[in-house]
Amino acid sequence: MEIEFTLNGVRKRVQVEPNELLLNVLREKLYMTGTKYGCGIGECGACTVLLDGEPVLSCLVLAADVDGREVTTIEGLARGEELDEVQKAFVEEGAVQCGFCTPGFIITAKSLLMENPNPSEEEVREYIKGNLCRCTGYMNIVKAILRAAGVIPQTP
Amino acid sequence: MYDINKVNTHIVPVRFTYHSPKTLEEALELLSRYRGEARVLMGGTDLLVKMKMRALEPSHIISLRKVRELDYIEFDDQGVRIGAGTRLRTIEKSEEIRERFPALWEAVRVIGSVQIRNMGTLGGNLCNASPAADTAPPLIVYGAEAVIVGPRGERRVRVEEFFKGPGETVLEPDELLREVFIPYVDDAGSVFLRLTRTSMDIAKISIAVAAWFRDAEITDCRIALGAVAPTPIRIPRAEEFLRGRRISMETLDQAGRIVSEDIKPITDARSTAWYRRAVARVLTRDAFTIAWHRFESRRAG
Amino acid sequence: MALEVLERRPEGRVGREALTIVGRKTLRKDAVAKVTGRELYASDITLPNMLYARVLKSPYPHARVKSIDVSKAVEMGAVVITSQDVPQVLFNPRLVSIPEATYKDWRVLTDRPLFVGEPIAAVAAETEELAQRALEAIKVEYERLPAVFDAIESMKPEAPKLHETIILKDREVKVERNVACRLEIAEGDVEKGFKEADVVIEREFRTNRRYHNQLETKAVVVNLEPGGGVTIWCTTQTIHNTRLLIHEIFGIPMNKINVKKISLGGSFGSSIHTNIIVPIAVALALKAGRPVKLVYTREEDMHDHVSFQMIFRLKLGAKRDGRLVAGQLQAIVDIGAHQIQAYPILGVIAGWWVSLYKLPHVKYEGIAVYTNKVPSCAFRGYGNPQTTWAVETLIDELAEKLGIDPLEFRLMNYVGEGDIFWGQGPTVKTVIRSCGVEELLRRGAELIGWHRRPKPGQQKGRFRRGIGMGRGFHTSSAGSPVPGSVIDYSGAMIKINEDGTIDYITALMDHGGGSLEAIAKIIAEELGVPLENVNIITADTQTTVYDVCTHASRGVYAGGATALKVARQVKQKLLEMAAKILDTYPHALRIRPDPKRGQGVIYVEGIEGKEITIGEVAMTARHKNWGTIAAVDSHRTEAGPPHFTAYFVEVEVDTETGIVKPIRVVAGADIGTVINPDLARGQIHGGFAMGMGMALLEDTPYDPDTGDLVNRGFLVDYKTASAPDMPRLKDFTVFFAETYEPTGPFGAKGLGEGAFNPAAAAIANAIYNAIGVRFYELPITPEKILQALRGGGENV
Repeated sequence: MEIEFTLNGVRKRVQVEPNELLLNVLREKLYMTGTKYGCGIGECGACTVLLDGEPVLSCLVLAADVDGREVTTIEGLARGEELDEVQKAFVEEGAVQCGFCTPGFIITAKSLLMENPNPSEEEVREYIKGNLCRCTGYMNIVKAILRAAGVIPQTP
Repeated sequence: MYDINKVNTHIVPVRFTYHSPKTLEEALELLSRYRGEARVLMGGTDLLVKMKMRALEPSHIISLRKVRELDYIEFDDQGVRIGAGTRLRTIEKSEEIRERFPALWEAVRVIGSVQIRNMGTLGGNLCNASPAADTAPPLIVYGAEAVIVGPRGERRVRVEEFFKGPGETVLEPDELLREVFIPYVDDAGSVFLRLTRTSMDIAKISIAVAAWFRDAEITDCRIALGAVAPTPIRIPRAEEFLRGRRISMETLDQAGRIVSEDIKPITDARSTAWYRRAVARVLTRDAFTIAWHRFESRRAG
Repeated sequence: MALEVLERRPEGRVGREALTIVGRKTLRKDAVAKVTGRELYASDITLPNMLYARVLKSPYPHARVKSIDVSKAVEMGAVVITSQDVPQVLFNPRLVSIPEATYKDWRVLTDRPLFVGEPIAAVAAETEELAQRALEAIKVEYERLPAVFDAIESMKPEAPKLHETIILKDREVKVERNVACRLEIAEGDVEKGFKEADVVIEREFRTNRRYHNQLETKAVVVNLEPGGGVTIWCTTQTIHNTRLLIHEIFGIPMNKINVKKISLGGSFGSSIHTNIIVPIAVALALKAGRPVKLVYTREEDMHDHVSFQMIFRLKLGAKRDGRLVAGQLQAIVDIGAHQIQAYPILGVIAGWWVSLYKLPHVKYEGIAVYTNKVPSCAFRGYGNPQTTWAVETLIDELAEKLGIDPLEFRLMNYVGEGDIFWGQGPTVKTVIRSCGVEELLRRGAELIGWHRRPKPGQQKGRFRRGIGMGRGFHTSSAGSPVPGSVIDYSGAMIKINEDGTIDYITALMDHGGGSLEAIAKIIAEELGVPLENVNIITADTQTTVYDVCTHASRGVYAGGATALKVARQVKQKLLEMAAKILDTYPHALRIRPDPKRGQGVIYVEGIEGKEITIGEVAMTARHKNWGTIAAVDSHRTEAGPPHFTAYFVEVEVDTETGIVKPIRVVAGADIGTVINPDLARGQIHGGFAMGMGMALLEDTPYDPDTGDLVNRGFLVDYKTASAPDMPRLKDFTVFFAETYEPTGPFGAKGLGEGAFNPAAAAIANAIYNAIGVRFYELPITPEKILQALRGGGENV
């Protein structure tokens, strides 16, 4: 079947099978590999994308269900070489280590800040709890998100 | 039957025909047509996982994404009606739910992650029929009803009687859960509590309590637990014991003892039967203590 | 103190205060690619005409394949391989030890599976779904054999035998009672030592079998090159050892195997060895004549690798005055179904143990045992966190029995400066030349409020708080003044481009900790150029000299020392050319970074006009045909110095539910010169989260009925900490000791593993401090705590 959707602001028309997942269409048909597979069952958040502006797990979304909708992936956040505030904060606060969970975290964080521009540390932690990281212990990630929100200053 | 070589969480390793009806009527028609071979897809967070694990292999998927008439939260003079297709995140964001049905709000809020709650629906949480479904205990203590529709018309079943076993509900293959109705219980103190391994987890055990008091006397109460039996269960013997008694640590401890006796927990990957019984007592005490405080503060203002 | 350190610095080194790049906060070079989704990992590679592969796994923990029928799968158009299609060689996937210490018992595909999940066959097809269907069409008839899931049970005479014979170097070795290998060490007279002791305590400890849960599952993509060559992208910590193994198994000449360096989505030891899917994918690609991609699902990954589980019997004796006199340790290591580094781990357990505290008399026995479980491999700390947990628990107990403050007891007995450090076991010994243990303990104690902590078991009430400490270390590399049985050297090439920018080319991997970032800073510092000018090249085995592996916390220390050595060679050539141009002498020249010009500037101090940028020198060299200013070299460090760490943790225990919450952490690290402060702190944060998992959450138990993991490999039942489970930002303090490691690049040591090693011990000791109960089995779950608090009875 053919689906049509907007990916990072660009209209896409793709042939998909009914059982194809959004994650695999993004990665294997559209070569948008920034969105990652981590567990396939909704535990790790590495596959998080924005669907109609809200974070969802692309490993549990049928591509068929995306027809007519809007998808934003990590590739869609920066404007050219200019990074989004959240991306910038992740770079500057040392929130990136192996980087495999990073796209999912940034998408989730972006959604948090769109909903709640001044989150508390508790709110940040709660909001990102569906994103697993095995490298950072979340400390610098939480710091980066608070910093992107302007809640705390940049670490010198 | 589980087979290590059939499981594949990269893909959905099951072939099916995809249907995307726009109305409830159309959806019901499809369900009747493919009776027994179809599954209804809401958020996908349970169904697709089960398909990846090959626990379910439906040959027809009826996606209800476009059925807008299932997505609503409506308050009337009797109570609230929540469409089965309402996403958990929508319920979580409702101030009125938070105020009038705090136990439900507390249960919804801890389900999975923000992503899961953006996808998952109330209907999905119930129809998946996990013994650990977080929304079940609060709906049970609030006396909620499931409104079921099918080719033979509409029927109403109390949520308490909705579950038949792990993954099994009273729904016939051609029926759909349309709505959950919760009558107002504004005069009750209510709460939902659960224990997990980490903050992102399925409950090891959960409890919801709704209680009514006169001064310090418990005039009525309902207790329901999750993840301690094949279905979410009510503990009538403990409720009966508490009715008419003054709230005290001793009383609650005795009620907790009854709860821990009446549940039927198992040992699994998340916890042990022994532990579940042990903490059931603690949770009963904690839940009533909070319910009492809430009742008091509600009365005060 | 500062002066003393300065005096010990080798000649020619500048003081730390003069460093312009090392030690400053800088932005990591790969971060922009990683935050924009542009960074490529092995699982992101797609090639034209590529096939997708799936592996057929044993559903039984022990079986013999009686027959295998692949005809249906072939009919479906899939390429299928079974044990008949792969070279019949036994190998060990980890090539870090010398052959005399490498036991081989692996096959690419087996017809005698020894654990649920062991690869039996593999298929490749046009899509993953087609591969999946072809896989399901393969019919296998198994003869089920009895299996054993516990190391102690496995050594009993009636236990099923897993391996008859295995290979050590080139010789066959008979396996007795499922003992994979054994190591005994004794120093002094342990019997005499215990007689001298006033207090002796002996305990049995059992650790968990933890799964790495690196975010990227194992992945490989193989491309075929004309003339029988292969190009490989895979999850690995060592591209050169991967190449060596593929050469060993398939006999392809090494110059026709190219393993590409590519980012790794975490590893934590799970890719020190070559993942089994790499030779499987190579075999498939060779048979199919097309590129093949094989990426494990999470549930397959959890059936692929796990940490070593250990059962320790540990006995320590001390004099009344607090001096330790003797120690005895028996370590029974459950290695699962195959050896990856069973023999080396027996050596390092001894090494970690004797390097924690001074023990005049020691006796050690290590036994590695086969069981029908997922094979164990290195996992961050390589046996050190397990050993440290046991020792630090017993040290706490001993101190209490002696009536000595556990902190003072540690200070009396720790192995420190001037002592011998066993690094990576008995063949890798080093004299300790820098040590900040006292500073770590004193300052950490002050920051956490150690002296105000409660007395164990004295609290009443439901929620009880306690403070515990754990002290530890890890080696920085397996370097040593003599060769030893562990291979440890690095390689680097540095060249100056015609515009003055620098290319740094190395096989050394960065798993995300920032090793390469740190090394870029070391190069920039030495060559006097702005950091932006140092380019970390994406390299492969064809364009780099050998580098053993990024493991053993050696990246910055050994990799950095190698890069520094090569940078000095480059600098010498550069200054010689500059001297010719400027009409001066090489040793009279200095270099400084000039951010305005974006260049390193070479100049003569005090004389105006005598200066030239590095780019001008390099361009002149081109025009005058002097050649490229470049060098390439290998380097073996003369030492493998310990970096020390200490954790002080406050926990709160809910005595009604047994739930433990870490609420405050003070972590100190002595890593010599801190090259990347915020990345170093990040290592410690991550180390603590992992320690929390080890102490409280993680394990992979088996269901004896199915012989499979209880959780079937699904992440839903392998829990690690989420963001809300960690202490708050203000409650997590990290500090660094002021030390300088004379053998390290600009005084630096490693950190990756020390950042983790004592964390679990500190949490366990804090739990004891809160509730007065000790636990000798990990993880310390709420179930165990509640049972202990309720007296272990049936009564709830």
